Amino acid sequence: MPPVELWRSLDDLAGDPTLRELVSREFPAHADEMLASSRRDFLKLMGASVALAGMTACRRWPSELIVPFAHRPEGYVPGSTLQYATSLDVGGAATGLLVTSYDGRPIKIEGNPSHPQSLGATDPCAQATVLQLYDPDRSQGVVQREGSGEPAPRTVEAFTTWARTHFASLDASKGAGLRVLAEPSSSLALLAIRERFARRFPGAVWVEWDPLSRDAAREGATLAFGRPLRTHLALERADVIAAFDADLLFDDPAALANARAWARRRRAPDDVMNRLWAVEAGYSLTGGSADHRIAVPSVLVPVVLGRVAAVLARAGALPGLPPETRAALERFSSHSFDDPRIAALARDLAGAPGRSAVVVGPRQPAAAHALAHLLNHGLANAGVTVWYSEDPEPARPSHREAIARLAGDLNAGVVDTVVVLGGNPAYDAPRDLDLAGKLSHVKTAIRLGLYDDETSEVCDWHVPQAHYLESWGDARGWDGTAGIVQPLIRPLYDGMSAIELIALVADGKTTPGYDLVRATWQARLPSPDFERAWRRIVHDGVAEGTRFVAVAPELSPGAAAPIAALADAELPRAGTYELTFSRSASLHDGRYANLGWLAELPDPVTKLTWDNAALLHPEDAKALGVKRNGDRVAIEADGRELTVPAFLLPGQAKGSIGLDLGWGRRRAGRVGDAVGVDAYALRSSDSLWRAEARVARRPGTDALASTQDHHIVDTLGKREQAIRAEELVRTGTLEEFLENRAFARERVEIPPDAPLWTPHAYPGHKWGLAIDLTACTGCHACTIACQAENNIPVVGPAEVRRGREMHWIRVDRYFAGDPAAPRLAFQPMACHHCETAPCEQVCPVAATVHDHEGLNVMVYNRCVGTRYCSNNCPYKVRRFNWFNNHKHATAVEMMVMNPEVTVRSRGVMEKCTYCLQRIEAVKIAAKNEARAIRDGEIVPACAQVCPTEAIVFGDLNDPESRVRAAHDDPRCYGVLEEVNTKPRTRYLARLTNPARGEA
Amino acid sequence: MTQQGPNTVFVFPAWVDELKPFIAAAGVGLPIYLVALVWYGGSPATTDVGYAPQQPVAYSHALHAGELGIDCRYCHNTVEVAAHAAVPPTQTCMNCHTNIRGTSPKLAAVRESSATGMPIPWVRVHDLPDYVYFNHSAHVRRGVGCVECHGRIDAMDVVYQAKKLSMGWCLDCHRNPDAHLRPPEAATQMDWEPPKGVDRTAFGKTIRERLKLAPSEDCSTCHR
Repeated sequence: MPPVELWRSLDDLAGDPTLRELVSREFPAHADEMLASSRRDFLKLMGASVALAGMTACRRWPSELIVPFAHRPEGYVPGSTLQYATSLDVGGAATGLLVTSYDGRPIKIEGNPSHPQSLGATDPCAQATVLQLYDPDRSQGVVQREGSGEPAPRTVEAFTTWARTHFASLDASKGAGLRVLAEPSSSLALLAIRERFARRFPGAVWVEWDPLSRDAAREGATLAFGRPLRTHLALERADVIAAFDADLLFDDPAALANARAWARRRRAPDDVMNRLWAVEAGYSLTGGSADHRIAVPSVLVPVVLGRVAAVLARAGALPGLPPETRAALERFSSHSFDDPRIAALARDLAGAPGRSAVVVGPRQPAAAHALAHLLNHGLANAGVTVWYSEDPEPARPSHREAIARLAGDLNAGVVDTVVVLGGNPAYDAPRDLDLAGKLSHVKTAIRLGLYDDETSEVCDWHVPQAHYLESWGDARGWDGTAGIVQPLIRPLYDGMSAIELIALVADGKTTPGYDLVRATWQARLPSPDFERAWRRIVHDGVAEGTRFVAVAPELSPGAAAPIAALADAELPRAGTYELTFSRSASLHDGRYANLGWLAELPDPVTKLTWDNAALLHPEDAKALGVKRNGDRVAIEADGRELTVPAFLLPGQAKGSIGLDLGWGRRRAGRVGDAVGVDAYALRSSDSLWRAEARVARRPGTDALASTQDHHIVDTLGKREQAIRAEELVRTGTLEEFLENRAFARERVEIPPDAPLWTPHAYPGHKWGLAIDLTACTGCHACTIACQAENNIPVVGPAEVRRGREMHWIRVDRYFAGDPAAPRLAFQPMACHHCETAPCEQVCPVAATVHDHEGLNVMVYNRCVGTRYCSNNCPYKVRRFNWFNNHKHATAVEMMVMNPEVTVRSRGVMEKCTYCLQRIEAVKIAAKNEARAIRDGEIVPACAQVCPTEAIVFGDLNDPESRVRAAHDDPRCYGVLEEVNTKPRTRYLARLTNPARGEA
Repeated sequence: MTQQGPNTVFVFPAWVDELKPFIAAAGVGLPIYLVALVWYGGSPATTDVGYAPQQPVAYSHALHAGELGIDCRYCHNTVEVAAHAAVPPTQTCMNCHTNIRGTSPKLAAVRESSATGMPIPWVRVHDLPDYVYFNHSAHVRRGVGCVECHGRIDAMDVVYQAKKLSMGWCLDCHRNPDAHLRPPEAATQMDWEPPKGVDRTAFGKTIRERLKLAPSEDCSTCHR
């Protein structure tokens, strides 16, 4: 098979001259120009700095104080780090975490290896929550807004006193006018308090709302099995996985576990690989990793599923199908939409009974989920690759029904008190319900929130919520595994946790969170040995034996009619488009909008930072008159209009427009206000995920901060090689690999260059890194891990547009193949620690040098900022501090810094160090214990966090090390090896496993 | 002053001649002086050595470590396991001073700290730049005695910086460690000397070989 061409953007593909210019320049245009415009200003500045330099020389550096404990806790070693287990509950599903604390302040979040929903990995959002802890824009006190008056600060005591009287006054009516509007929670302690709450206020209604609700899956299970079972995946047993609008590797409550299981079977350990099919409208990371991706508008996804089912039914692969269901499936066969790959997918599934999995995402209707259950049962996957458990709250109405009913009650005036627990419903509830307006008119609205945000603005009381790193709690993972939420620091502000507030409402008195959680677990754990068991759970972060019990449900026949109705799906009418909403990969539902790390994290697919955009198929864009990325379009749905910058995304389904939720916040804080556009504005309660939209071009173009063409590794200059394709990300099929295992290495001829210098000898350690591109899903967890570990600054949208983002490890995203239906390939790129590093040869002050263990080290205090090294780096991985980015950080913001890593100032170059501080820490510890370093003991931040274990670090001199094995793997190759850089970071070629004849 | 016409020429007065030798001397001496000023004046030996800030409590190492012979590690107990040789908590002082000189006015600040739980704000004496990552345990456990960097603490009433602690000074030892090594057991012994008749450097060499020491000169050893 000839190698496919790789390209980074449509401009790249078209050979756009501006891009060519971008590649050929050391830094993007204007990047190296000073803000001061004239020569005169420059001289003035120079004069001033010389004068100041003279002043500072007269002064000894400021004296520092050492403030030891008066009574040091036993076993505490000042200046060393400790890790504590805790859990983060997002949308009712928890991830187990290990949080690193340095002298009492949490600085780094990692996954808890013993938690089955983390396995040591985390996603970018969970890692960034440590930045949220120190966010200076978090609300810092109770605020009362009376009438339409100004917000007035109140003490916590004033609030609790008021609350006690207020809720006592509701006792007479049994709480008939009381509503609690809460975000989903898996807390057992909260459940226990809710029981007390329901006893005191039987008339009150508990409303749960999640803007990224997965209730369609619950309703689908009700259709298929008669009750709302929860579906779980065991992908370690699956050979064929078909994901229908399901981002099971990234946007899924069990994504980390799914990704780990998928990747283990992906690396062809015994020359066998799983195969992933994706059917979706917009590019998800699961679609990006898929062997086959069928891009269809979201509305047609169930049709594809139905057609697959029909083929399987006809081939007799679904035994025991009731006749009415069989008839329902037949209806799909006559649907106008068809694709030749559907038959191949059906063949593939039929060939792997008991080893396949059909997964449908939460954006698809309930009937599509029911159809998937039908298929999984027919293919004997149920109980093997897919298993079910009872829903923890089977009686709960769906989020959509609950919030609509609340809006109705508010309208009818039967509600007098609303308690809003977390979330941000005024911003993210369906806009047709006008919850913000209704909340502002209710007699008493109390809001517990991390920020004084859109919802707090319309409530009478705002109570600051304690961050989860400041409060006690408990949470269950998607699979039911329970863990404790353990605080690492006393609340920075007078925060209260959700359980503490509800306990105040239910019991009429304040109880510390610790007592509430402990009491809940006291009832669950064995009584004689409770203290021991409790300490174990708090320490481990995981309670053994709390996983949900698998059930084997029977299919109920009721699903046939709704499934048949799926076959009536039609494309949007002519002149309209399908608008689909998706979770922002970085800001989640908008809750992380004020976190600079996440706002600046490039979207994995579009590489957009600081913005969301309407994702258009290039042909749709042409029809609309959209010529460039950033051209404004107006989208009108459900009678509301929104002007959005457009982004041309190859691989987007034609006729379907994608838009990320979570942006365009009004009251997020200094970082997140008015960044992007608020897609919730177009969302209605009957079209939560999909709407029919009219789109028109509007005058004007927004400057988008997309990093997709930044830091391009220049291969255009080496056009003498016939095709440049496949040099950087070498991709091959499994078939190709089995034919020639060294195919990747042979793609590029390496000229027999002799080194100009004597090669270094490495008698001791020789560090190296390997990245398996087969496993990399492009989730960007490594980028945030690196940012948190290495004190990497956020620079803001204007600087990103100038190409000045600071990420040490970026994830290059390439499109591969046919621009009409491209595949994605991801490649994490950081300093390669070249043996013959080009940067080292050009530094005039020897600020970047080689050390005796093979590291290319950057000596900040020597660097004078010539940037020659960056100019000479073929991988474009060096980053320059154009400003003193931490200059204005407050003391609280500085608390997030890792003290083991120098905080760089203006004028200094920086880059990946292989997490030198972690290497040194382990080296010193091992030497002190007079032992050798064990393989896998040193884990750089990027490797630590990787959900798919794609990154391996270790000693290349150790013949037993995993990194040695990876470097000796036949798939292993070095990027730009032909220029004789001898990179230390090497890649394992990306293998795909397309179905035979369908490549 | 007389009015000067447009064509008159300024003539230096005669007394200027007497200044000529001084000007010549300044022309030669000033550059030398400036170089010497920067060279010696800017050296850590001038700016840092001898730095002895006043401490909130008049604690005397000469009394405790010298006269009473308390081991360094009684107070700085993390020195063998951690990067920092932690300054002790007030509790450590009170272990003895609850009974000994329990009412001394010099110890008022210590008693207050112990009672209120507020720390004693000691002033850092040995202050390396923030981009230097020195690790005490890595040195103490490899036979570098406290005295090598801190001087005779056991003779100091007020602690002062005894050594330069500059990068060149660190590298001197990393390049030629033999003269600064001793058995690790004797790391805290201020007056340690090699056995009689054995040369210090030769003895240090045996230690280096026994412990397989190869001090690194890589930038990455101390800078991150």
